[in-house]
Amino acid sequence: MKNLSIDTQLRLLFLWQAALCLAALFGGLWVFFSAPWGALARYGVGLPLLLAGAAAGLSAWDIRQRRHRGRVLAIAVNYLGLLAAGVGALHVLGIFLGIDALAGTFGRGILWLLLALGALFIGGLGERLEYRPQLARRLQQGGRWMAALFGVIFLLRIGTLPALLWLLPRLLQPLPLGLLLAAALFGAALWLASRRPVANALHAGVLSDEAISGFLFLSPNLLGFLLFFAGPLIFSLYISFTDWDAFGTKNFVGLENYQKIIGLDLVALEAPDQAANTVIDVNRFSELARFNLLGRSYLLAATDKLFWISLRNTVQFVLMAVPLSVILALFLANLLNSNLPGMRVFRAMYFLPSVAAVVGIALIWQLLYNASIGYINYGITSAVNALNALFGTSLQDPAIRWLSSVDTALLSLVIMVVWQTVGFNTVLFLAGLTNIPTMLYEAATVDGAGKWAQFWNVTIPMLAPTTFFVVTTTTIQAMQLFDQVFILMNPPEGPNNATLTIVLYLYRSGFQNFRLGYGSAIAWILFALIFGVTLLQFQRQRSSQMEY
Amino acid sequence: MSRKTIWYMLSLLTIGAMLLSACAAPATPAPTTQAPAAEAPTEAPKVESPTEAPAAAAPTEAPMAEVALRWRTRPDNTEEANVYSEISKELDAQLEGITLAYEAGGSETSSYQDVLKTEIGAGTAPDVFWIPGTDVADFATRGLILNLADLAGKTEGFNVDDFYPGPMGHLTFNPETSQSGADSGALWGLPRDVSTFALYLNLDLIAEAGAPDPREQAANGEWTWEAFLETAQAVRALGTDIYGYGASAWWGPYGVWLNAAGGGFFNADRTACALNTPESLAGLEFERSLYVDHDVAVPYGEDPEAPFRAGKVAMFQNGRWATPGVRTVTFNWDVVELPKGPSGHMGNWLFWGAYVVNANTQHPEEAWKLVQALTTAETQAKVAALGANIPSRVSQAALDAFLTFTPPDNNQAFLNGLNDNPATEGPLWAGSWPDYDKIMGPAVNAVLTGETDVATFGATICDEANKVFGQ
Amino acid sequence: MRSSYRLLTWLQNAAVYLVLSLFAGLMLFPFIYMLTTSFKTPADTFRYPPRLLPRDQVFTRVPGYEGELPLYYGVVNGERRPMALVQNSIRVGVFAEPSRLEQTLTVPLDQVQATGATLTVNGEALEVFRVPVEGGTTVEMVKLSQTALGRFVDPQDPTITILQNTRTSTPVERLALHPENYAQVIALRGMDRALTNTTLVTLLVMFGQLATSVLGGYAFARLRFPGRDTLFTVYLGTIMIPFVVLITPLYQIMVAIGWVDHLASLIIPWIFTAYGTFLMRQFFITFPKEIEEAALIDGASRLEILRRIILPASTPAMATLATFTFLYAWNSFFWPLVIINTGNEANHVLTLALNVLRGRAVDSPNLLLAGAAIAILPPMVIFILGQRFFVESATSSGVKG
Repeated sequence: MKNLSIDTQLRLLFLWQAALCLAALFGGLWVFFSAPWGALARYGVGLPLLLAGAAAGLSAWDIRQRRHRGRVLAIAVNYLGLLAAGVGALHVLGIFLGIDALAGTFGRGILWLLLALGALFIGGLGERLEYRPQLARRLQQGGRWMAALFGVIFLLRIGTLPALLWLLPRLLQPLPLGLLLAAALFGAALWLASRRPVANALHAGVLSDEAISGFLFLSPNLLGFLLFFAGPLIFSLYISFTDWDAFGTKNFVGLENYQKIIGLDLVALEAPDQAANTVIDVNRFSELARFNLLGRSYLLAATDKLFWISLRNTVQFVLMAVPLSVILALFLANLLNSNLPGMRVFRAMYFLPSVAAVVGIALIWQLLYNASIGYINYGITSAVNALNALFGTSLQDPAIRWLSSVDTALLSLVIMVVWQTVGFNTVLFLAGLTNIPTMLYEAATVDGAGKWAQFWNVTIPMLAPTTFFVVTTTTIQAMQLFDQVFILMNPPEGPNNATLTIVLYLYRSGFQNFRLGYGSAIAWILFALIFGVTLLQFQRQRSSQMEY
Repeated sequence: MSRKTIWYMLSLLTIGAMLLSACAAPATPAPTTQAPAAEAPTEAPKVESPTEAPAAAAPTEAPMAEVALRWRTRPDNTEEANVYSEISKELDAQLEGITLAYEAGGSETSSYQDVLKTEIGAGTAPDVFWIPGTDVADFATRGLILNLADLAGKTEGFNVDDFYPGPMGHLTFNPETSQSGADSGALWGLPRDVSTFALYLNLDLIAEAGAPDPREQAANGEWTWEAFLETAQAVRALGTDIYGYGASAWWGPYGVWLNAAGGGFFNADRTACALNTPESLAGLEFERSLYVDHDVAVPYGEDPEAPFRAGKVAMFQNGRWATPGVRTVTFNWDVVELPKGPSGHMGNWLFWGAYVVNANTQHPEEAWKLVQALTTAETQAKVAALGANIPSRVSQAALDAFLTFTPPDNNQAFLNGLNDNPATEGPLWAGSWPDYDKIMGPAVNAVLTGETDVATFGATICDEANKVFGQ
Repeated sequence: MRSSYRLLTWLQNAAVYLVLSLFAGLMLFPFIYMLTTSFKTPADTFRYPPRLLPRDQVFTRVPGYEGELPLYYGVVNGERRPMALVQNSIRVGVFAEPSRLEQTLTVPLDQVQATGATLTVNGEALEVFRVPVEGGTTVEMVKLSQTALGRFVDPQDPTITILQNTRTSTPVERLALHPENYAQVIALRGMDRALTNTTLVTLLVMFGQLATSVLGGYAFARLRFPGRDTLFTVYLGTIMIPFVVLITPLYQIMVAIGWVDHLASLIIPWIFTAYGTFLMRQFFITFPKEIEEAALIDGASRLEILRRIILPASTPAMATLATFTFLYAWNSFFWPLVIINTGNEANHVLTLALNVLRGRAVDSPNLLLAGAAIAILPPMVIFILGQRFFVESATSSGVKG
């Protein structure tokens, strides 16, 4: 093909694009109107096909007109076609579903995989033996060979050979074969379109080349992201304007869900203990709170009381957990940031809770929190008894009902979550601390600043970026609190809705009460909240950077 | 540099090879000759399930033309899960033309229901599944489960009256005519089993407290709220960490006190809140006094099972399902029926759940056959033999089988509960039960933990709770 | 002066170690508790006061009594010694002569005889019993109260018997591990298969996500293309969306593709996350542009630049991302719960197996925690082995805002 004249090459490309255009348009129309598939598949396959057909047509026209846009479109269409055909072939061959079977045989090979990794690691040690080059080289080579050997054994153990034997005949079946053939054609066209002569003939600029490679680089991630995250996201935005219950028809209801969620009513009361049903429409509103302002009593009512309760709980949780986790982490990081021996061990210990699965952790803490036989209350009781015995005081054993009392349920969650996140934040702070040049401390010492002054005037400002990162990520996580509550609390909303978080509430609305539209609307309100808080932090971060 | 290259190559190779090898096993059940015996069972289920086989493999199974049905229920423990899959195998052999696949649902209430609802939404739910009695209305009014009345009408020998009337009243409720009964034109499913509350007793603690034996008091008709309170107080006096009474925090346990006082959650036709009637409030007030004034109970919301098994609770109110767990304790124990309240009844519940048929099933007739097969006296006896369930068929033979299953010695206590005018756990056809529960639960919690008093509860609760009707 | 300075430093260091150790204890205690409890018997887990180490009660045989009898400490003649419990819950009465109420006698109820009479003492009607006293005679006494005690005998000398409250007696125990809990939990919930599944899923997600994130991050950091910044903002925004809201649509996509109930649904979607791309982009953006431009002028392609120049220098960032992904994939709970059928145990991952265990073994915390240990320990071991690598790479990347 290389020897063909540039005109022939362009003609070939034109013909291919034109053929693609026709095929895709017809295919798309067929899928839309006569394919026996569900709505999701009809739109999911038909729409892209129609779009691709249009793009291919446009590109054919442009190539004829020698416009560069034609090449860009051709590359895009053929690239996507290549991916679709390739992935389609894998899918048809059953590769993805086969992962289940692989999991069945994988266990037999794990040992060899570990050995291979170990051999690589040993080989890597060779690089450190610079003073004995001979040994180093031998070690490296030996490690490499061993790793390769173990790797092959691993592949054999997990059943690669029978798999290949099984796969080969299937490759020759019409559907996979056709898809592979299509993939090859798309590949050839892609290759043709991306070659320099074609690019030159169509007057490609450097910038557009960079843009093309930019999209190519991004494409693996972007395509999956669009399919698996952006798509569902847009869908959820759409259903937040409907009354969909996950089965029936979706009736568009506009902003009704949002209005119901955030609807509030404030009325002045004649007497502080006036019954609620005399002032508000109890069929729509529920009493949320009463308060006294400037000598008058007011009653605050909401159309969705639970949303406001969940919002209050979430805000309370964030206000307790985030500062606690961050300040504790900062404190520990400062202690750890010294040259004393053993600091690494402590650092590792602190990090351990963030490695563990939330499901497991919640099981442990559930037992620790048990009010009657749990360790935490036992510790408190023992401490109280010891104090009473030592000092003759008569302290009362508080007998805290950690998970079942309205006052402590949220606190229990805070303690568990802080315990789990503090180590991770400590390590992040430690990273920030080690990046502060010692020069600055020396200069501060020369200026006569004490440790405390150094901490405020050097450490804190220099740590600002780290602090920003830590606070932002911890806040986002805290506002989305769900897994921990779901497993630790029974029922998840806790006593008297004390641990009903926003995400838990939206989960409950969507999944347990068949109100998916409503749940999605809550999610988008939460998104707006998180976005607002993050934006606020960004702005504070920016303004504080101005100062220093 | 070269080490890096090798590393990349190797990881790429690994991924590639794993992906390739991935597809091997579905078609090659025994890929290696020296395959150890242990791995055979792990691969077996893969081959069995026809829906999962790759497209190419499907046609080979065509000649059999067996109807494949999936069914699911929520087992409370592993033994039960095993019995159900055993039953599934036997029925598979019994029922001609039907191939069964049993799926043990999650035993956590929340995960069982949530997963089921997601699957129904996406059309991947099993053909036959179990749901708790409270959920029947929710599923039926949304058209998620099949009305089996026509199929049942054609079935010879099927009689609605073979089962306890309470559950059947709800299961034959026709929301269009508000009628129920054999000829209401509605049948949403058949009950799997029934259960009821009893008090699990720590006899050692009661003896140590010098209190009279509740079993004897019950036999003499002296087991009343007053006797119950006296025993609880005597035990509570043994130590600060010893409690007279313990119950979990959900609608079942607190509902009992309301029922026994002559009150209840709803009015008679279940269309409005009745939590603020004097009777209901009197029941709640007595329960509140147990928790707050007399302080004889494990604090509301704390799990009472752990302290009961640690030997620190004298009377633990729970259903029959708690029996297998209690059997491992080291102290002397037995069960007794609930004490009789001011209404002269113990106010017990009749708990039940039903097998229902997915509205989207391809094989309604076979599914109906399966539902019947799952609720025969024979099948129910097998499950009842585990000691955790009471058969839902009114059959003396099944009840006798249940009574022989000891410990506890006093199995009759459960049957007494069922015979003393129990309130049937039930769906809310006129509103949303989950919503009602979520309003009632926190309000009762506030009363039982002493945050609010019963008067305030009575003044506000029905304004809130009535919102779930006629939404 | 100097020595006092040294003392001060020493004290300071000691204080630092003290505080650090205290926190280390707090951080590790739940795990220690998990491990020790996982080796206990079920009865040992439900006891108060709780004890950390697993113990078994000691049993013994006593001549003249049947079977193995549990040992408790009892007090005989002011001396504390192991006693075997031969009979529990013996109903006893506390009796006293009406004239001398302060001098009480505890006697089993089956050894006394009711007279049928009652006597009013301090305004309370008390029953009168004939109670045997030393010397073979009986005395009429009133019953003050009633309780239950256990009868204990001395295994060394079975003639010595005492009555004592069993509940408050201290049992004689010895340390005993029950590693069979692990075998039991593995058999019960197929934890071994779940472990393999989790490992496979985690590995594939980790490698896959690393690959797409490196490419995507590079594109965002270095290549100019139309719509780049808008796209990046969208990426950033999705990090703030709670995942729960995506479950239903994503589930329906999985149904359309046919991955429901298959491990592929746990792997493929998670290869394309915004977070990894964001992290890699933040790292690449700090990389000096000059080297790259020089290579470009030499005619190297973008892919070559990425492979030859940028990747070798970004091991820390990649290790960080790998760590995050590893933990995320290993610990993810909700998506597997929804997408993998509870009946399909062959495809359960560890968190799922643990959740089912949570429902089925709620009465045996020892098994629950053994299951938790199986899920928690492997990543911990990996972390401890590679902690220098992980922590230090996290240190040098990722935190640049």
